[in-house]
Amino acid sequence: MGMRVQPAVIGCTIRPVIAARDRSLEEMIYDTAQLALADAGITIEDVDGIVVAANDQFDGRSISVMMASGPVGGVDRDIMSTPSASEHAFILGALRVATGQFRTQLVVSWSPTETSSMAEAQRLGTDPYFHRGLPLDELSAHALQASAVERAEPRARAAAEAVAEKNRAHGRAAWPNPPVQTQPGPLRWPIMPTMTTAPVTGSVAMVLAAPDFIAERGLRDVAWLQGMGWATEPSFLGDRDLTSAPALAAAARQAYATAGITDPASAFDLAEVTDATPYAELLAYEALSLCPRVDWQAQATDGSLARGGRLPVNLSGGVLTWNPVFCTGLIRVAEVANQIRGRAGAHQLPNVRRGLAHAGSGFAMQYQAAMVLGREARA
Amino acid sequence: MSGDRVGIIGIGQSEFCSRRDDASYPELVREGVVRAMQDANLDFDAIEAVVYSLSPDAMIGIGNAERLGVDAVGGRNKPFLRINNGGATGISAVAAAYYHVASGMFDVVLTAGADKIGECGDSQTILNKIWDPSYERPLPLGTINMLAMSAVRYMQRYGMTEEDMARVTVKNRRHASLNPKAHLRRIVSIEDVLASRLISWPIKLMDCCPQSSGGAAMVLASEKFIRGNHLDAVWITGVGHSAETYWMGDRMGNNPTAEHADAYALGRSFEKSYRMAGVTDPARQVHVAELYAPFSNTEFHSIDAARLVSRPGESVARLRDGEFDIGGKIPVNPSGGTLCTNAIAVTAMARVAEVALQVWGRAGEHQVEGARLGIASGNGGDHQIFGTMVIEA
Repeated sequence: MGMRVQPAVIGCTIRPVIAARDRSLEEMIYDTAQLALADAGITIEDVDGIVVAANDQFDGRSISVMMASGPVGGVDRDIMSTPSASEHAFILGALRVATGQFRTQLVVSWSPTETSSMAEAQRLGTDPYFHRGLPLDELSAHALQASAVERAEPRARAAAEAVAEKNRAHGRAAWPNPPVQTQPGPLRWPIMPTMTTAPVTGSVAMVLAAPDFIAERGLRDVAWLQGMGWATEPSFLGDRDLTSAPALAAAARQAYATAGITDPASAFDLAEVTDATPYAELLAYEALSLCPRVDWQAQATDGSLARGGRLPVNLSGGVLTWNPVFCTGLIRVAEVANQIRGRAGAHQLPNVRRGLAHAGSGFAMQYQAAMVLGREARA
Repeated sequence: MSGDRVGIIGIGQSEFCSRRDDASYPELVREGVVRAMQDANLDFDAIEAVVYSLSPDAMIGIGNAERLGVDAVGGRNKPFLRINNGGATGISAVAAAYYHVASGMFDVVLTAGADKIGECGDSQTILNKIWDPSYERPLPLGTINMLAMSAVRYMQRYGMTEEDMARVTVKNRRHASLNPKAHLRRIVSIEDVLASRLISWPIKLMDCCPQSSGGAAMVLASEKFIRGNHLDAVWITGVGHSAETYWMGDRMGNNPTAEHADAYALGRSFEKSYRMAGVTDPARQVHVAELYAPFSNTEFHSIDAARLVSRPGESVARLRDGEFDIGGKIPVNPSGGTLCTNAIAVTAMARVAEVALQVWGRAGEHQVEGARLGIASGNGGDHQIFGTMVIEA
């Protein structure tokens, strides 16, 4: 079903890496929120509601929203938090605008790296009896999925290497001196260092608004939310078929139905996909109906999915370039919104009319979401 | 009324208690879900999306423990997200489910969760970690001494006594004795409360909520679905949230941004809910209230903030007169409230559920006669984030 009121993105700030150590977490969140409001051309006084998303274990807090409430402008304002995923904050913000009861929403997510071990913090998210002792972290889960995909599709490894090379090339064009992992050997078999990058501190914020607010303010650089879908895989890895992404397929069906998209492979000018590993990107191609697995290797190597190809994927360089772990999903949505708004910076593609954002997170991408954003209000 | 309302069509709650050694965390979630689904008389195929209600992960001992609850709520391949607004989480989760339906995207949404506070070891050690690591954790702050400071300020400003606090416990325990879902159901006297162990003056053991284990779930649906399927429902007509400062020091001192004796943001949240529901005179229009008050003293400023009395502090005298008892003018916490049951992840959901049962006329022994409009609230963080609702028959 469609939304009662169609939301649009009117402001974004993407800070995929914050290298300077001169700001506290609260100050970093404040900076991020203020930059997004400035990008939208509004102030906090124009904001009806706020949704934030962060990970308590990464933040070293029991309830992260508490500390963030002041920096994002939450005092004396309606604020909620979705700690399940950064992209879930966008979803709840969009739903709130869609009710017609809110004219604007500020959505903020962040991911610090001050914890002594990201892997240990992630390991706390496993079942304490069966999985925690393995030990299992998110990269291990991604690696188990990659192994399953390689076994099911023998040409997947070559395709994954080509996807990684594509995203690195995009990253070099988008950012000055992105990091490259050079250590020998696999990080977790079969994930090679060149297929991922180390976690960094980062943050992202977006501002959503209703059509009447956009008209009243005369806002022009907006990205309309034409369709939105999200879904989850089951709790245990052993209950899942890791060689496919059925929750993402379900999310895509929901998003495409709302947006009226019947041929996804030709519907978009670009896509941003959560490439926690290149295998995750390959599975997303299939689940989003962008490229069937029989064509993975061909399209990953012939430039179809690179800048200049039929459907450029991850012109930002993706997660392979910058990996602020918890907020990578929301960054994908913000990247597509900025491409449509003509504000993507060095990796801007000319004349983007419609784009697709895929956000995934959790162990072997348990949570999946797809957003269709466009220059026009209706698809 | 318009045809775009959002209704409650199913409610499930555990019988809350200190320990549930017979049920794992997901099994406890499942318990509430099964009961809500039976109450709604729906199959899981009818559920289009799920909102998961879970406050601090550390209470369960599993990071992002909602991931382990996906199967318990039947969430596979369905839209699913989690809310955490601290103690307000339960009402915020119902609000999020409400937004799912009110957006027009969904007709039927499930919200569910559970907690095992009684089995977490020491909730105050965990709750100390909600504060700033450098300035406030080492004091050491916990939720009890935080609200003891509120009690002292309320005493000074409005004349509340320790006996007045005890009267809240006596009332709520009497109410809980009528509610088979409540955790602490033994009737106590003012003398019992005053003689109970001092925890953080003026709060004594019987002024405190218990650490409860149990699950809860609710099914919400669009008015179109409810009418089309000839279902019985009660309606969410007002929803609001508001927050105040994180910093305790900014609520005390000479020029506080929001006085810690009161519940400023709770009042602001109720303003939003009342405006949306068209409630202009709550003291006359509200028939029943379930107000999140984990310590006896906090029920007073919650009643004040809900404007069930004409001025702050008047709640003390009104409570002495029995106006908030079952059978009184506006019964407050007829279920026994948070003071008698606190499984944090779903405590504020239980407030909504209990008000819904009241206006539905299905509350059983603790039914408030003639209740047609009720209010619910939830408090989260360091008495910081507040959610409120108006529920009508």
